[in-house]
Amino acid sequence: MDKKEEEFLKKLISIFKVEAIEHVNAITSGLIDLEKADANLQMGHIETIFREAHSLKGAARSVNLKEIESICQAMESVFSALKRNEIITSPQLFDMLHQAVDLVSKLISKNEEITVLEKSQIKEIIKRLEDILKDASVTPHQSSIIEKKEEENKTKVSEPDFSSMHSEPPELKSDIPENSQIQAPLITETVRISTVKLDSLLLQAEELVSLKLATGQHTTELQKINTVFTLWKRELAKAHEDIQIGQSSLETKDTVIYHNAKFLEILDPNNAGIKSLESKLTALAKSAQIDQRSLDGMVDNLLDDMKKVLMLPFSSLLGVFPKLVRDLSHDQGKDVDLMIQGEEIEIDRRILEEMKDPLIHLVRNCIDHGIEKPQVRDLKKKSPRGTVKIVITAKDSNKIEILVSDDGAGCDASELKSAAVKRGIISQKDASKLNEKEALSLVFVSGFSTSPIITDVSGRGLGLAIVHEKVEKLNGIISFETKIDSGSTFRIVIPLTLATFRGLLVYVNEQMFAIPVINVERVVRVKKDEIRTVEGLDTISLDGQIVSMVRLENVLELGGGEKNKTDDNVHVVVLRSGEKRMAYIVDEIVHEQEVLVKSLGKQLSRVRNIIGATILGNGKIAPILNVNDLMRSAVKVTYASAQAEEVLKDKPKRKSILEVDDSITARTLLKNILESAGYDVKTAVDGVDAFSALQTQEFDIIVSDVDMPRMNGFDLTSKIRNDRKLSELPVVLVTGLESRGDKERGIEVGANAYIVKSSFDQSNLLEVIQRLI
Amino acid sequence: MSTMTEIAVESGYAPQISEKDRILKARAVALAKQPEEKKVKDESIEVVEFKLSHENYGIESSYVREVYPLKELTPVPCTPPFVLGIINVRGKILPVIDLRKFFDLPENGLDDTNRAIIVQNGRMEFGILADVVLEVHSIPLTEIQPPLPTFTGIRAEYIRGVTKERLAVLDIEKILSDKKIIVHEEI
Repeated sequence: MDKKEEEFLKKLISIFKVEAIEHVNAITSGLIDLEKADANLQMGHIETIFREAHSLKGAARSVNLKEIESICQAMESVFSALKRNEIITSPQLFDMLHQAVDLVSKLISKNEEITVLEKSQIKEIIKRLEDILKDASVTPHQSSIIEKKEEENKTKVSEPDFSSMHSEPPELKSDIPENSQIQAPLITETVRISTVKLDSLLLQAEELVSLKLATGQHTTELQKINTVFTLWKRELAKAHEDIQIGQSSLETKDTVIYHNAKFLEILDPNNAGIKSLESKLTALAKSAQIDQRSLDGMVDNLLDDMKKVLMLPFSSLLGVFPKLVRDLSHDQGKDVDLMIQGEEIEIDRRILEEMKDPLIHLVRNCIDHGIEKPQVRDLKKKSPRGTVKIVITAKDSNKIEILVSDDGAGCDASELKSAAVKRGIISQKDASKLNEKEALSLVFVSGFSTSPIITDVSGRGLGLAIVHEKVEKLNGIISFETKIDSGSTFRIVIPLTLATFRGLLVYVNEQMFAIPVINVERVVRVKKDEIRTVEGLDTISLDGQIVSMVRLENVLELGGGEKNKTDDNVHVVVLRSGEKRMAYIVDEIVHEQEVLVKSLGKQLSRVRNIIGATILGNGKIAPILNVNDLMRSAVKVTYASAQAEEVLKDKPKRKSILEVDDSITARTLLKNILESAGYDVKTAVDGVDAFSALQTQEFDIIVSDVDMPRMNGFDLTSKIRNDRKLSELPVVLVTGLESRGDKERGIEVGANAYIVKSSFDQSNLLEVIQRLI
Repeated sequence: MSTMTEIAVESGYAPQISEKDRILKARAVALAKQPEEKKVKDESIEVVEFKLSHENYGIESSYVREVYPLKELTPVPCTPPFVLGIINVRGKILPVIDLRKFFDLPENGLDDTNRAIIVQNGRMEFGILADVVLEVHSIPLTEIQPPLPTFTGIRAEYIRGVTKERLAVLDIEKILSDKKIIVHEEI
């Protein structure tokens, strides 16, 4: 009984989560609309948000989530006060409401118990919402009249009030970047499908019933044919036997003649049995043909419509963007408008989900690196408010184009080149050879960044590389255009649907594999004596280009080794993934066909070199190869031996870190973490102590606190930068939440990274250290 | 009780009204009581018993979706040894796990008689290799001994207990939700 109830509650909560997220999204977008709306339109928005908050409160109460209920209650009171004109909107109020909504959405997506920290956050936010109402009741109309006059301008071209923002409890603010990640998994759980689409699907599914009946009919027919054939065969056997006996025995001539005649009759093409067999088979063949034709049509239509069901408009994804842009631009003290065009265009749900993170990253990139601060824009004679645009357009058949652009600073190719050289991505010599287009594509290289400093959100130079990879994985292309002072544009072209996949079937080590045709550049037979080795690696020459070549079975770790085939030729498949091109030797090339990509099941979440599997016409399974992985694995296989030697020669030396912090607790905690990550750690209690330690011992990197007695982190950094011997030493500044705004200062003094301290998760810091040394 | 009543009726005993009430109430209370103790004794689980390398194992049947013949097993390269391969279960691809690798059991070859026991818990689903599937029967919980002290490591983790008949009952929920069993490898 108890178990049942528990299960019911679980189910109820999962239903609640889906519903609640819808309310939260509606409140969020309502708040943004409200903030932008003209004074006379505000009331409508307030009413909508009020109702959403009220529904959410009711839903939370029904599943006994008191915390969410109480936050909603507080928000509801604020909205009803707004409705009654008792209080007036202000940027601070919006911030507070957004934080409240963020907190609610965080609580919704949570499965565990609510932590003490969250409890205090909840208390805090409720108290502050209540305070607004109290303030309002003390000075009901006086302030609102003054503010009301400024209202329109203020919300539109608002100069955000930073003094008030910084006085807010920091833990609330830190929730904002997480928000997008929290909502992500929920998107996949339910999909809304228009009933028209569903009806059409049902209709088509019903049509299949006729085929099911027809198949039953055919089976009966076939059984009948089988019976007729068996009877006829029995007669034939009998006659055959009679003749044999007749020949070998002393039967009368008459009997022999009789048997012969009987035999001939059975073999007569006009024999009733044969005739009926013939007509039945003809009829069956004909109806099978008809069935096949209609089945072809039905399956194709059903598949098409099913794909349409999987299509969702971009708006379902872009809903979070206005909020994202608002939060990010607020954080950075920039004024940014987001313009979205073409959000009604529909695209395969799976592609849409894959595109979510890349789009978020690109928009973040536009705000981070593109849009300038209002003062700077003023100097450049631009409108102080920047614009980020997301424009989606349907391109020719089955493709869409997404443009993410900003009207910000832009950059030029030479700037990118020097940044790449500085980061050690390319040499000065190579850089000078690049043409403009090639230079611009440097932004997609892993490790590239123009940011002078690494922070929690950016500067690690991974983002665009990941975007690039994702787009390529979807068989799309991405390019980057930029012009100094007029802005930058990322242009993405991706397919509208995950097209029916074509695969090239090959045999490797007696097993069949499918290779995505899209990655197959060509299939060739190569004479063994055309294979030449360069630096110990096999290569072949294709159209005058040298292409390196590996055995697919080695890359797939199938063993087997070299086979002594008598054949003088080898079958080679030339594959391409991005810029990489490589030839793979296979045992046999079968043919190319349409394949349906299936996942390998939950337990095989991601397998090296294998992207999925397909079921062939005969029910057998062929794994589908992941060409992107193959390229990387191939490099590993071919260089494995060479690398092994190098490792032996160059024993990894433990890197040493000087850790500076005035708090003994923080010092000990961090020391432990760094040591367990395999570093040698020395500690110093402040800047002065650290600097003297640097004189006597060499370190690979310094991790320093900012606020310290005697000499703080900034002073220490600038002292290191000005020291001839130490100037190249990487410095990571670690700071408490309360002073996260000092990033600029960190850049100024020349720190390599500026990380906000988090007491529990140090993976961020470790990753940064790894990148720097 | 019934004989008592009979005697009472035969002897012409007629209780007072208040007495009647009291008896009825007492009976009602007695009937309303849940037979707790008995329930605990009777609590048992239903298991699907199968053989693997001459040993008998049991999986709680509520986790078993079906037993599928292990035909057309396709090995998947670049997976750990405990992944035997993948099979096509009516158009859906499912991995098959080889428990012998976890329990250090001798490996005899596979043939047409092998089965995959498809287990699932809503979040995870895969097949478990079996030589022969024997029967479904229920085992009282009290007859399941905790794992033997000699069971260490993965054995102790994956085996819930052993019965008198030397049937090792797998802790299938634990196996299904074990993160170690998920293959997720980037390059």
